[in-house]
Amino acid sequence: MMHYLMAFAFAFFATVAFGVLFQGPKRILWRSGLIGGLGWIIFIGLKEGFSVHSFSANFLATVVIALASELFARIWKEPTTVFEVPAIIPLVPGLGMYKGMNYILQDYVSYGSEVLLGAAVDSCAIALGIMMVSGVLRALKTGNDMARQRQQDLLGTAVPPDLYVTDPEEEK
Amino acid sequence: MPEEKALNGTKQNTEPASPLSGLAPMTKNQVMDIAMDLGKILLKSGAETSRVEDTMMRFCRSYGYYDLNVFCTPTVIILGDESPRGKSRVFRVRWRATDLGLIMDINELSYNFRRWKLDYAGAKRWLQGRLALSHPYGNTAVCLASGFGSACFAMLLGSASIYNFVAAFLTGFIAMALLKMVNSFHPTPFWENFLAGLSIGIVAQTCCLLYPYCTLENITVGALMPFLPGLAFTNGVRDYMAGDLLSGNSRIAEAGLFALSIAIGLAFALKVWDWGGLP
Repeated sequence: MMHYLMAFAFAFFATVAFGVLFQGPKRILWRSGLIGGLGWIIFIGLKEGFSVHSFSANFLATVVIALASELFARIWKEPTTVFEVPAIIPLVPGLGMYKGMNYILQDYVSYGSEVLLGAAVDSCAIALGIMMVSGVLRALKTGNDMARQRQQDLLGTAVPPDLYVTDPEEEK
Repeated sequence: MPEEKALNGTKQNTEPASPLSGLAPMTKNQVMDIAMDLGKILLKSGAETSRVEDTMMRFCRSYGYYDLNVFCTPTVIILGDESPRGKSRVFRVRWRATDLGLIMDINELSYNFRRWKLDYAGAKRWLQGRLALSHPYGNTAVCLASGFGSACFAMLLGSASIYNFVAAFLTGFIAMALLKMVNSFHPTPFWENFLAGLSIGIVAQTCCLLYPYCTLENITVGALMPFLPGLAFTNGVRDYMAGDLLSGNSRIAEAGLFALSIAIGLAFALKVWDWGGLP
C-alpha cells in the first residue's frame, strides 16, 4: 500500500513538473497531476500486482488516462490535450529505450534490439489507447458537425442562401 | 471607427441574418486576418493540426463565409478563398514552442466569440494582451521543473533512494539550463537534443563517479524524460485519428528524429567516457 502511495505521489509531482515545462496555467496543474498519478498506479498495479503483459498494462492505463482527461475536459470546459499530454508522459518507455541503446553500444546487438523492440511495442500500445478513445469520442461529439461538413464538401460553395454573406468590400 | 463607416448600408448590416445575430460586423479581409492570427498562435504553441483547422474554420463559418478553406500542416498554414477573385493567405511556421495556457485561452475565445461580442479591433487587442502574458514560467522555473520532474521519474523506476533523487535533480537541471543558455544562438532541434543527451550522459556519469550509491540507469532515464518528444508523439497520433495523414506522418517523424538525436548525444557521451578509461 505504501509502495502504491509513493508511486502515486511521485507520478503526481512528475506530471505537475511536466505541466510547468509545457507552460500550463496553474489551475490545470493539479488536475493533470491527478490523471497522471491515476494512470501510473493502474500501470504498475496491473504489471506488478496482476502480472499483466506490459503491452496490455500500457494500453489499459492509456485508455484510463484518455477517458479521465475527456471527462475533466467536459467538466472544466478545457481542451482535452491539456490534461492528456502531461499525464501520458510517465508511461513513455524511456527505460527500455535507454537499456536497448546501452546494450547495442556494448555490442550485445541482438539482446539490445529485443529490448528496443519491446519499448517500441509499448509506445505502440500507448498510441493505440489514445487513438481508440479519441476516435470514439470524436465520432460521438462531432458526428453532426462532420455530416454537415461532408455535405458541404460535396456541394462545394453551394450553401443555403440565408447562410451566405457577400463581402461588403467586394460589392464596391 | 473607420470600419463602421465602410459597412454602413451594406447587405450585412441591413439584413437580419440569423447566424450573425450576436456578432459585430467584419469584412472578409478582417475575418481572414483574425482567423490567421488564431491559427498562428495555436500552431506556434503546439496544438494539433486538426484543432488549428477546426478553430479557423469554425471562426470563418460563424461569420457566414462558407467559401474560406484552411489547409494546415506542422510547418505551414494556408487560408484560401474559393470564390472568384478571392485572395489567399499563407503563413510559414519555422519555430514552434509549447504553451498549453495559450491553447486553452484561444479555445475559450473561439467558443465564446459570439457571447463576448468582440469586433475586429477588440479581438486584435484581446489577442495582443493575451500574447503578452504567454509563457508564464520563466527560465528558472522551467529549469527547476525539469530537475524536479527528472528526480520524480528516477524515483518511479524502482530502487528509490535520496541519492538518486538529488543526482537526477542535478542532471535534469543542468541539461535544461544548458539548453536555455544556447537558446539565443537558435540551434536546430537536432543539435539542441544532441547537446541535451551529451550533457545528461556526462553529468550522470560524474554523479556516479563521485558517489557510488547512485544508479546510473535511473538517473539517466529520469533526466531524459523532459527531453523526450511526448507532445509531438501524442499530437501525431491524434492527427492520424482526425484524418490529417500528412501532419500525423510529419509529427511522428519529428518525434522519431528528436528521440534519435538524444540517443546519439547520450551514446556519444557514454562512448567517450569509455575511451577515456573512466569507470
